[in-house]
Amino acid sequence: MGDFFQVFTFQLLNSGIRLATPILLAALGGALCNKAGVLDLALEAKMLLGAFVGILAAYLLHNTYLGVLVGMLAGGLLGLFFAFLYHKYEVDLVILAIAFNLIILELTVFLMRVLFNNVGSWTDPSIQILPDIQIPLIKDIPVLGDILSGYNAIVYASWLIVVIMYVVLYKTPFGRHIRAVGENKEAAETVGINARMIQTMALTIAGMLAAMGGAFLSVGHLTLFTRNMSDGRGWTAIAAALFGLNHPVWTGLASLFFGFTAAFSVRIQNVTNLDPNLVNMIPNIATLLVLVIIALRTKIWERMARSRFRSKLREEDRAKDIAKSV
Amino acid sequence: MTPRALRKLLDAILIPLLAVLSGLVLMGVLVVVTGKPLWESYQILFTSAFGCKNAATSCSLFTTLERATPLIFTGLSAVVAFRSGMFSIGQEGQYLMGAVMAAYLGYAIHLPYVIHPIVIILASMAAGAVYSWIPGILKVKLGVNELLATIMLNAIATTFTEYMVQYPMRADRGTTAHSPIIDATAFLPSFFQGSRWGVGFIIAVLAVIVVIVYLWRTKSGYEQRMAGQSLKFAFYGGIPSDQAAIRAMVISGALAGLAGAVEVLGVQHRIMTGFSTGLGFDGLTAAILGQTHPIGVFIVAILFAGLRLGAQIGLQIQVHIPQEVGGTIIGFIILFVAARKFYENSIASVRKLLTRNKDIKAKGEGG
Repeated sequence: MGDFFQVFTFQLLNSGIRLATPILLAALGGALCNKAGVLDLALEAKMLLGAFVGILAAYLLHNTYLGVLVGMLAGGLLGLFFAFLYHKYEVDLVILAIAFNLIILELTVFLMRVLFNNVGSWTDPSIQILPDIQIPLIKDIPVLGDILSGYNAIVYASWLIVVIMYVVLYKTPFGRHIRAVGENKEAAETVGINARMIQTMALTIAGMLAAMGGAFLSVGHLTLFTRNMSDGRGWTAIAAALFGLNHPVWTGLASLFFGFTAAFSVRIQNVTNLDPNLVNMIPNIATLLVLVIIALRTKIWERMARSRFRSKLREEDRAKDIAKSV
Repeated sequence: MTPRALRKLLDAILIPLLAVLSGLVLMGVLVVVTGKPLWESYQILFTSAFGCKNAATSCSLFTTLERATPLIFTGLSAVVAFRSGMFSIGQEGQYLMGAVMAAYLGYAIHLPYVIHPIVIILASMAAGAVYSWIPGILKVKLGVNELLATIMLNAIATTFTEYMVQYPMRADRGTTAHSPIIDATAFLPSFFQGSRWGVGFIIAVLAVIVVIVYLWRTKSGYEQRMAGQSLKFAFYGGIPSDQAAIRAMVISGALAGLAGAVEVLGVQHRIMTGFSTGLGFDGLTAAILGQTHPIGVFIVAILFAGLRLGAQIGLQIQVHIPQEVGGTIIGFIILFVAARKFYENSIASVRKLLTRNKDIKAKGEGG
């Protein structure tokens, strides 16, 4: 048992936050899309595109920050293209996502082979990793400084986006419009909200965020690109958004949960002989349970509303009977 | 065939055909980008996918058919689910569950020839069916979105398979984890020495026929299709649509589980780490391009398997074009078929143009 508790260290918290970052960014994009009533299952593709374009641009422009920006631009363009096909040609978003998850996976490897004659992975010594930044003052706080400081810019940005998204979605009229479109598109359009514009924007921003998460993998966490680098994180992000009920703050916490289980499963291999795969299964089972709980809640509310309505009818009948008898 | 039926058929195949042609044109662009000979590349792609120089030794068509086999099953699985209005993308997970079951029973129990594979196939189908029944019952009883539920179940199945391969079923401490080789009694025989194209393909053809008969010639299948077209209409028409939906999910899961069994018994003879290679998603795409019809799935599965094989052993080895070109084209074909409205608009405008010309001509003649 002593061995088991050795798993919990500051490094675990640190790496948990790092591993949560790409999931968080993509999950925020997914949550925004869900809020705007468009299901984005192509987070995986957008993430992989961001990872590939990000490292390629960092190499060509000799600047990692610019690389991340160009990667985000690519993801945003893909999102925009989705919105265009969805609105103009009424393409099913799920099928579109399945197609692009395949296209980006294969095309990135194709390009890697054509451009660099490489099979498994590609890197170049000239590519700089995103530097870690110590936050002044906070880094000097004993324990907390180690946990909160010393990450690269993308990690800080991701948590800043959580706050921004919360404020925009819940504290501004524009956020209310987004949520209105997600809840009832026709009704929102009737009162003059440009639903098409809002959904286009949601898909584009989701693309940028997921691509930023991808760039974190290729130039923030490591400095290389490998085949299928996102490795299912886009799907995990969808789970995290659902687990967080599409609320930015809850989605942030859900992503942390996913990140910590990932870090935990890596640590557990080194310290104990438990199997990491079993640990990795936990978040997905938890998400499935959340889906069930949400459905149950809706069902129970419906039933309660129905029984309330019935009892009201009964009362009215009784009142009528009494009125008659008098 | 009546002219009306012919026209219906033409309408059904026109857009997939245009999508495939567009995909092949796009491949030409990729070939030109890499600076390789265009015409030769097409030739090599087709001969290494569907060619047959010598039936006994070098028939790549057989390999294509071998690789198409699991795709046919997962494609049929998607067809059964889609046709009953269940948007299940859980074929991947059900396929893995079937494969794990087959690999385990392959070495854990010992039975004589013929009986052994039959027992395993039934068990794998049951494993897939149960794994698909879960999202089915959740959807019908609680209204849980089956698309999201199957995404989660896919992820769970992938990690579960990794766990089984790495730990309980691991054969040795070699560098890549794999399960022990199954008993020879459980092998599904192949047609030729040196080829793995075999009995599994016959089962796949039978499955195509069974699904057609079930969906279009039985009462249950009718109920299912009606539930798929309009759940409320079917319900008020007296069709037990809930039961139909659950039944569809169970059948769909059984077919995907069967894919796993056939792949293990006929081809791999064990499971190894990284066994899931997106076969479930390929089946899904085959169903979409095949117009959610069993025959369409059969044709498209062979086409997809051929494209991938042709890109792998043809383009990559002979012309040095990366094999990923195959998968890329498949992705674009799906994109093109999803954007059917684009083609419909173009066809409509071409038709308009033709009729206008005719009108002008008619007017000219009249005047």
